[in-house]
Amino acid sequence: MRLLVVEDDADLAAALRKALEEEDFAVDVAADGDDGLFKVTHTAYDAVILDVMLPRLDGWNVLERARAAGSRTPVLLLTARDMIEDRVRGLNLGADDYLGKPFALTELIARVRAMIRRAYGGVSTVVTIGDLTIDTAAHTVLRGGGRVALTAREYTILELLVRSKGKLVTRSTIFEHIYDEDAEVLSNVVAVHIAALRRKLGMTLIRTCRGEGYVIDG
Amino acid sequence: MVESLRTKLLLWYTLIIGLIVLTFAIAVCYGFWRSLVEDVDRDLQTVAFVLVEGLRPSESGGVDLELSRQYREFIGRSPRTYYALLNGRGELIDWSDPDVQVPERTPLGVQNRDGRRELGLTAVNGAVVLVGQDMSEARGRVLALAEQVAATGVAVLLLSLAGGWFLTARALAPAARISRAATAMAQGDLSARIPIKGTENEFEHLAAVLNEAFDRLRLAADVQRRFTADASHELRTPLATLAAEFDWALSRERTSASYRECIETCRRASDRMRRIVDDLLTLARSDSDAVLIRREPVELAAAVREAVALLRSLAEQRGVTVVTRLETAWISGDSSQLVHLVLNLLKNAVEYNHHQGRVTIELRVGAGRAQLSVADTGIGIAASDLPYVFDRFYRADKARSGNGAGAGLGLAISKRIVEAHAGEIACQSTLGEGTTLNVRLPLIEPGSIKRS
Repeated sequence: MRLLVVEDDADLAAALRKALEEEDFAVDVAADGDDGLFKVTHTAYDAVILDVMLPRLDGWNVLERARAAGSRTPVLLLTARDMIEDRVRGLNLGADDYLGKPFALTELIARVRAMIRRAYGGVSTVVTIGDLTIDTAAHTVLRGGGRVALTAREYTILELLVRSKGKLVTRSTIFEHIYDEDAEVLSNVVAVHIAALRRKLGMTLIRTCRGEGYVIDG
Repeated sequence: MVESLRTKLLLWYTLIIGLIVLTFAIAVCYGFWRSLVEDVDRDLQTVAFVLVEGLRPSESGGVDLELSRQYREFIGRSPRTYYALLNGRGELIDWSDPDVQVPERTPLGVQNRDGRRELGLTAVNGAVVLVGQDMSEARGRVLALAEQVAATGVAVLLLSLAGGWFLTARALAPAARISRAATAMAQGDLSARIPIKGTENEFEHLAAVLNEAFDRLRLAADVQRRFTADASHELRTPLATLAAEFDWALSRERTSASYRECIETCRRASDRMRRIVDDLLTLARSDSDAVLIRREPVELAAAVREAVALLRSLAEQRGVTVVTRLETAWISGDSSQLVHLVLNLLKNAVEYNHHQGRVTIELRVGAGRAQLSVADTGIGIAASDLPYVFDRFYRADKARSGNGAGAGLGLAISKRIVEAHAGEIACQSTLGEGTTLNVRLPLIEPGSIKRS
């Protein structure tokens, strides 16, 4: 999954990036509201972590304008102000969640995951498909009871396909959701990962729609 | 407290009026009595002389009273006057009223006896004429007057009491109003003010002064509230960095290089917090200073020279030349704050400058204003940042959270100081070329400068 962190404090942004990448998220960072708004309206992120106090354009404005432009990306507001009025304002403007500074990393990560899960329409953290049991919280996959070892990228692609169960996911979408803006990878890397997944989980799991993308049937 | 002052005033006032009325009453009654007594004496004398004239010596060595008919009538007309005639041997030979008691010894001259006033005169052959009048009527008249005066006096007293009650209420009403507003303020209603009706009496001046004090109180309370909000705010981001780094470091085993980097980030965050705390305290002090500013004549060029001297070593260290072109300018304000102002501007000009850069400070007077400009040849400020440079906590160099980046309060403090001195401050800049800060302050009238 790919996240956008909009935070002007460089140290905090770096700490967030570090922690989130460790949780297998691809992370982009924007240091001011203008850049943040541009990124969120031009890239398909799975979630946005948005600081409220930003230079150029404050977080409230970024949120309002992004929603006005039609973005449905889940947004978690991060802020030093934790008054009731601020929470209400944020939620009314279209935020999906609100967390005050300072916060516990584990809570931030859990909330981000929950937001993404809700956005994809899922209810539980454990998904079953055929003989596969996927625990999206622990990032583990069981096949017929036995643990399957997947690389971080492989797991992420699998999770994306599983969450989009029944819907076609194009190759470029997979690419956008797995890699951050700085990634320099070969263009066939997605095909390589899909092949690996098929090897590990079974050839029938992921169906190719020639020329368009992949789908896991529900 | 107002009530008892009013009562006290009223009691004293009543006491004084009462004494005056009493004195007046006594004087009137006594004066009346004396005039009545004088009338009686005159009466007695007249009758006594008539009788003395009417006494003729008789052959036996005594006296005979020969009074003409007019005289008899005259004497008869004084109803309460009586007389007694005694011959040389002290025998009563004639009297007007048989009931009159004649004293054993008949003294001469005027005397009061038994509520009667009597006059004794000697006549021919040792005879003594005694004339007297009963004073009870006179006494009655004086008493009647006294009663009337007393009644009037009491009425006057009561009226003045009523009048005084009304007057003190009116006079002390402003005090009650002031007391109410002050109580409201003390109980936490910072918007309470004393209504001023525009009359010029003594209480209005007091009310105006108190209102001003209340304004300052409220300002100080606002300042304090804003400070605590800002402090809590600004510190939360570095705290979040610390929390995130700690969580990350502890979540699993890391390489020592990772730990090291993590610790360094935490160090930077804690340094940042310390700087923010220092700057916030400075800001709070300058905020409250702005409320309680000292106003004396200050020579601005001297303040500039002092700031330049203080920053000399830093400028030398960074290879920056400071040039000054100063005119004498007298303004009204606080000299230490003004030095602080120039110091802030100068510090920015030196720190955001290049090696071998230049800072030019100019101070000119004209049109009732002192114009101070601090221009540097430094890195400048982007046009998009320019409108925000005086905002609290605004940092144009956002990406740098490492050494050297303050909390963004220097210019906010400077603006505070300038505005507290009734001046204006503006910033011009070109990215990559330099920045100029322009300050305008009102000059004092030259005539009112008192050299201390």
